[in-house]
Amino acid sequence: MSEATPAQPAGSGVRPDGWVAPTWEQVVRDHSARVYRLAYRLSGNAQDAEDLTQETFVRVFRSLADYSPGTFEGWLHRITTNLFLDMVRRRQRIRFDALPEDTERLPGRAPSPEQVYADTHLDPQVQAALDALPPEFRVAVVLCDIEGLTYEEIAATLGIKLGTVRSRIHRGRVQLRQALAHLAPRRPAVPGEVGA
Amino acid sequence: MNIPESHLAQEAITALVDGELTAGPAGRAARHLAGCAQCRMAVEAQREAKEALHCSADVSVPGDLMSRLRAIPFTAEMSGAGTGPGSMSAVGPGEFTLTGTRGAWSVDLTDDASRRGHLGPRWLRRGVAGTLVGLGAGVTALVLTLPGDAAPGAGATADSGRPEQHTEVAPPVLRTVTVGVVGGTP
Repeated sequence: MSEATPAQPAGSGVRPDGWVAPTWEQVVRDHSARVYRLAYRLSGNAQDAEDLTQETFVRVFRSLADYSPGTFEGWLHRITTNLFLDMVRRRQRIRFDALPEDTERLPGRAPSPEQVYADTHLDPQVQAALDALPPEFRVAVVLCDIEGLTYEEIAATLGIKLGTVRSRIHRGRVQLRQALAHLAPRRPAVPGEVGA
Repeated sequence: MNIPESHLAQEAITALVDGELTAGPAGRAARHLAGCAQCRMAVEAQREAKEALHCSADVSVPGDLMSRLRAIPFTAEMSGAGTGPGSMSAVGPGEFTLTGTRGAWSVDLTDDASRRGHLGPRWLRRGVAGTLVGLGAGVTALVLTLPGDAAPGAGATADSGRPEQHTEVAPPVLRTVTVGVVGGTP
């Protein structure tokens, strides 16, 4: 059955405008690190980051055929952040609906600082401060300061106004700094160490 | 929108730190900062927070996650919300093409195959023909061929007549439609 199909791999992805579709292998290789990093910064733990990354790529795969070239990164950012916000809202709902004591906090969910560092090379204090931000602020700050997106790109990614982007980044950073200030005293006082 | 002479707006401070102010406002902000310690501190606070996040190296993706991502063409359910008249077709044993409204994609599966070639036990071997059938509006599914090596005692070499390029899939394939193979016994 398969043998009946024409064996002409190279030409299949070429469009009239000369754009050549990457292979799935390339898509995964070129974008997985970026997506995983974003997912980790947003979710703050490896398990959620893996789930988010996997789900993002499943979405990408499903709608690959309708993808128009040029904004692959933007597309990935959009999918990842939306999935993250969905996840957060779903959990908030669950926590709200079913308040029983056992859903309070799953033990072992929060990774150890060593684990965080090993996974992300991000200062665990910084990740903790990031995790403390409201999800909407966290997304804006991460897209701006870690992913290096412009305000306009962030507005497009999240579907919000430019003014909203500015104010979320501003408030997010203010809270981040406060959280870091609270966390900092707990650090072992090592002379010469630069505070986060 | 008229910012009073007194202090910079908070959002202007953020935009300044991110280089998102246009020349005019940026110049005015700079002049104001020269004489206003309070706003300079606010700028510094934003900058500190930004830099705390900035100094993070690239993360490496866990190996098993990479494998799962590569295997998505085999494992993803394509039923979804039928996004139009998309279709898939096999181009060769190691590749298939997705055709959608805006063009075609080829998905190369061969790298994956060669990478995991010697990982799985022989009896796990499955040949992926990569043939895809359209089910209704844009619903597609991977079609796998199960080679005859599933026959007891035959071993993988039993079907030496089959092409070499069989893709091997380690993860369980969720959505499979079995296609008869020449002389194949399920």
